[in-house]
Amino acid sequence: MEATKGYLAPRTLVEAAQFAQDGKATILAGATDIVPRWTRSLVEEPELIVDVKGIEELQGVSQANGEVRLGACATISEIESSPIIQSSASVLAQAAGRVACPQIRNRATIGGNLCNASPAADTAIPLILLDAVLDLASVSRDGITLREVPVVDYFQGPGSTILASGEILTSIRFRPLPSGVFTAWDKFGTRPAMEIAVASVGIALKMEGKRITHTRIGYGSVAPVPMRGCRVEAELMGNPLSAEVIEKCEDAAREEIAPITDVRATAAYRREVVGVMLRRMLERAQGAR
Amino acid sequence: MHKVLDKVELSFIVNGEAVRLKAMPHATLLDVLRNDLELTGTKYGCGEGECGACSVLLNGKVVNSCLVLALECEGSQILTIEGLSTNGRLHPIQKAFIDYGAIQCGFCTPGMIMATYALLEANPSPTAMEVKRGLEGNLCRCTGYRKIVDAVLSLS
Amino acid sequence: MTESAVNALSKHPKTTVRASLIGKRIPKLDAPEKATGLSRYIEDIKLPRMLYGKILFAERPHARILDIDVSAAKALDGVRAVLTASDIELVPFGFGKDNTALKKERVTCVRDEVAAVAADTPEIAADAVKHIRVTYEDLPVVTSPGEALKEGAPVIHPEVPDNTPFRYDYSHGDVAAGIRQSDVIVEDTYVLHRVAHCCLGTSGIIAYFDADGKLVLHSLTQVPFLYKHELSGIVGVAPENVRIIQPPIGGGFGSKLDIHPFEPICVFLAKATSRPVRLVFSREEEFLATPTRQPVVIHLKSGARKDGTFTFRDVHMTLDNGGHTSWGATTPWIMMRTFSSLYRVPHVRQHVDVVYTNNIYACAFRGYGNPQATFALESQVDQLAEELGMDPLELRLTNTQDPGETTGQGMILRTCGLKECLEIAARNAGWEEKRKNVGQVIRHATVRERSGKRNKDVRPEDSSLVRGIGMASLFHVGGGAKIYRSDGCGTILKIDDFGGITVLTGSSEIGQGSETMIAQIVAEELGLPIKNIRVINNDTDLTPWDVGAHASRTVFIAGNSALRAAREARGKLVDAAAVRLKRKPEELDLEEGNVVDRSNGEPLESIGKIIRGLHFGAKNKLIMTTDFYEPPSTSPDEKHMGNISACYAFGTHVTEVEVDLDTGVVKVLKVCAAHDVGRVINRLGIEGQVEGGIVQGIGYCLTEEVRVEGGHILNPTFTDYKICTTTDLPELNISFVETNDPAGPYGAKGIGESPLIPVAAAIANAVYNATGVRITELPLTPEKVLMKLKEAWS
Repeated sequence: MEATKGYLAPRTLVEAAQFAQDGKATILAGATDIVPRWTRSLVEEPELIVDVKGIEELQGVSQANGEVRLGACATISEIESSPIIQSSASVLAQAAGRVACPQIRNRATIGGNLCNASPAADTAIPLILLDAVLDLASVSRDGITLREVPVVDYFQGPGSTILASGEILTSIRFRPLPSGVFTAWDKFGTRPAMEIAVASVGIALKMEGKRITHTRIGYGSVAPVPMRGCRVEAELMGNPLSAEVIEKCEDAAREEIAPITDVRATAAYRREVVGVMLRRMLERAQGAR
Repeated sequence: MHKVLDKVELSFIVNGEAVRLKAMPHATLLDVLRNDLELTGTKYGCGEGECGACSVLLNGKVVNSCLVLALECEGSQILTIEGLSTNGRLHPIQKAFIDYGAIQCGFCTPGMIMATYALLEANPSPTAMEVKRGLEGNLCRCTGYRKIVDAVLSLS
Repeated sequence: MTESAVNALSKHPKTTVRASLIGKRIPKLDAPEKATGLSRYIEDIKLPRMLYGKILFAERPHARILDIDVSAAKALDGVRAVLTASDIELVPFGFGKDNTALKKERVTCVRDEVAAVAADTPEIAADAVKHIRVTYEDLPVVTSPGEALKEGAPVIHPEVPDNTPFRYDYSHGDVAAGIRQSDVIVEDTYVLHRVAHCCLGTSGIIAYFDADGKLVLHSLTQVPFLYKHELSGIVGVAPENVRIIQPPIGGGFGSKLDIHPFEPICVFLAKATSRPVRLVFSREEEFLATPTRQPVVIHLKSGARKDGTFTFRDVHMTLDNGGHTSWGATTPWIMMRTFSSLYRVPHVRQHVDVVYTNNIYACAFRGYGNPQATFALESQVDQLAEELGMDPLELRLTNTQDPGETTGQGMILRTCGLKECLEIAARNAGWEEKRKNVGQVIRHATVRERSGKRNKDVRPEDSSLVRGIGMASLFHVGGGAKIYRSDGCGTILKIDDFGGITVLTGSSEIGQGSETMIAQIVAEELGLPIKNIRVINNDTDLTPWDVGAHASRTVFIAGNSALRAAREARGKLVDAAAVRLKRKPEELDLEEGNVVDRSNGEPLESIGKIIRGLHFGAKNKLIMTTDFYEPPSTSPDEKHMGNISACYAFGTHVTEVEVDLDTGVVKVLKVCAAHDVGRVINRLGIEGQVEGGIVQGIGYCLTEEVRVEGGHILNPTFTDYKICTTTDLPELNISFVETNDPAGPYGAKGIGESPLIPVAAAIANAVYNATGVRITELPLTPEKVLMKLKEAWS
């Protein structure tokens, strides 16, 4: 292996995993998060860049056996415009369409978005709503070992994931939501475009008769990781979607998140906005019946 | 003392011409276009993908060249602003920008035109909102965008 | 000079045989070069053996410099020079003479320049800067004027022990009398923030000494001749040995009006290495080390009689001057003029304190203090209207001046279209109708409380939206501000043997289209197609003097200068044609490159042939003319009185907004703008100025802020410093009022700064109309608006 080369573009997952093994390689997909860091001298220029975009297993958007599979290197614009995603997971297509701008969307990948692990990652919340699982690959004497991690467990902290040294994210899988599930996602910023979310909220909700039988809630940018809204889910499950329940959910949302104050917004404002966004989505769900 | 890495050989096609050169692993496409190939039409505005001044087409898709490593472009097709007009014959997009007053200081113009090119390739008859969304990654400080949007709509 | 006097210069005035170019849409002359990527901006210029410069900034707000160790930096391969203050002669410069190119003993703000490197590549230069070791002794940081003025506060510049380098006082009339005459009085404090120019092209310069030892600069300056003069003193080169070449710039907006430390630094690097040096900022350096708009706290008290006539204004302003003085410290001179002269007001008093802190400092920025002053004044005019129970439009109309009036500060409003601007903008916006429909105070209520039963047809996010409409006017100089002993501009014009014109103008093109305007005027006078006109404006060795592009002076002053030179040429041309064609001069006109019969437009001879006839015929003459135009304005006296501009710009914006009561988001829906510009010269260019200014103003009001805490900048990137994108563009309705100023070229007055000036005030007034909540601090971020809404309704 030519460590002095600085840049490698392996064609197979095994090769990539081997390069990644000693933990010194920087895995490169879309480059949109990582390149600014070293050009702004926030990190050292990497000694070894391993470009994984050429690896077959990491490509594309496909559907088989009732399961949708996203290669880690599927770009955000591929996901935005994919008919499979638009029909089976419209919130994900919607979130993809709100990432930054066309130039970024054409390069940024879903794998990169998840591995960068910003609490503001736009694709994370829709994946939480979809109960997605992430496939992580590592190489050992026996070849490639895969393990599966639910998306909620993937994030460990701002910029930190469960990826072990030498592991590579290869794909993301989810089952399309059954019919009758209402989904919504939104992110809030100070202007309509080119925004890193001040807060984002996503909901998935199914009602049978007058009661809610399935729900997932997700929040972005208001905790160290993209998080699931378990308290709000508890308020919703088995209950009607009434004004009282919605009000309780708004309060529960504000209580269960853990936003910080940073240059983009104060914690108090994030709490405020999350409650408003959630309430509006639940009201829209009410109206959609 | 930092480690000195080798330059790597690289070949791709820029504005229809085959190019072969050597680039450092960390060099961006923007660096290579401007410094090695002296195609200075593509601009540095921020170096972090926030302004669009460095927009070019990479294999038909508009990207921020400041975020693409040169080595990622092996075998690729790149179109820059210099590739739009031929022998002084302006591309209709360039002509529209000129005629509609969509250019003041001109610094954002190459990137804006390349993003417009990509937009119209994918969507030849965009609405005003679609034009705005297609150009949302390109900052302009002089024009206020109105004449840029008018120029693009005139082409649809 | 009146138009008739100017016309007298040309013995053969234009007729209207053909359609005039004036008022037409003329595409910018350099647009094709810019559209093809062929324009070479500073960062595109590479000279043989050129080195790359980079600066080490202090990155701490207040400290003593104990030691600078450059040995490691010097030892790197490819490093050709490393300079600190000890290596150069330190000549203080700037309006306050309190800045030097490199800092020797102390740094007084984070962007202070401590050392500089020239190296073979930008990467080596950046690396070398990282290897410079500076030992600092941190000093207590003064983060506000309030702190700087406290007893025992650290002294930031020893020559100014009270930290207050400048104080200004102005008055006309008698404020005490004004107070007595008032039936209503309003008092409030307005806090205006820092914003950055965000030129898409970052700052840069190239310096080298030519074979004769002459200093040559490729510089982005907007004021080349003043710059040449001042810079020569700083770097120790005689001014006649300094040549400034101006490449196209990636935006100005006032940022290039001053001399910035990086500029003499680059000269010193060129001197030390005997090679050309190019120094260009990264975007982060641009945010860190270029001055901002002047922040200011304005305390304003004003009054009116019950019939609406304004009685007095009493203004107290405190300016955060930062760690060094740049042009920001002089913005009060312009702010004063808004307080004294926007609308008629008999009694005005102003006091201004300019105070050092350890924050970053401010320079000129489009409007030069006027957006700040107008925000305060026009907000308070609405507050007065409310106290009086008057319509804000009616209150303003009650106090507009008449053409010919002289203001309390001595400014002669020969033309004044303010009344028309108010009426037109209001009419176009549907003011009367919209003011009736909007409730004044809307109780904050969620969709549940408000309607009890949820309205299923209304989207949840729409039910908390309220709309409002507000207005604000502007008053600004329209023909320079006599900031220097001369406010003039020179022109040299020649016609070649083929009817091609070259115009050398001292005026600078900074993206605003001045070269196109000049070509248009010359083409109009000489009856030649614009493509025959070549304008040269970017080399101080070639062009005659001009004080610079600022104070919205270029169309008025440079335009007049070009017009006069062109008219003189016209006269000579028609005289020569009359002789050659054996006609009377009054029978002839110039059109489309030909001499024509004035009565029927019939072409008689090409202009080129006339010139060749002159050149090679018995007379052996060529047509070359010159002009230096000094406007008839006066410098202000020690009391700040005087007619500083030959004409003044007016305008009104009426703006509609939508406010989301649950999130505080303010969206600008529509701006109806009416601007008194005297006369439209290039309709395409002038619209571009207005549209661009409005969108800059929206950013100023709603989303932009350079956040400074403890002297440090928190958001030095486009990620977190938010300028408007395409999706922020509101509906724009723009009208021009042509008052035909007799002193202006074809009646034109300046426009460059005006469109930005009233934007924030109009938005804030509209937000008040929508929500009943008055916010007196910019920017109106969603968080701030929501907080104020909650405060008001709790």
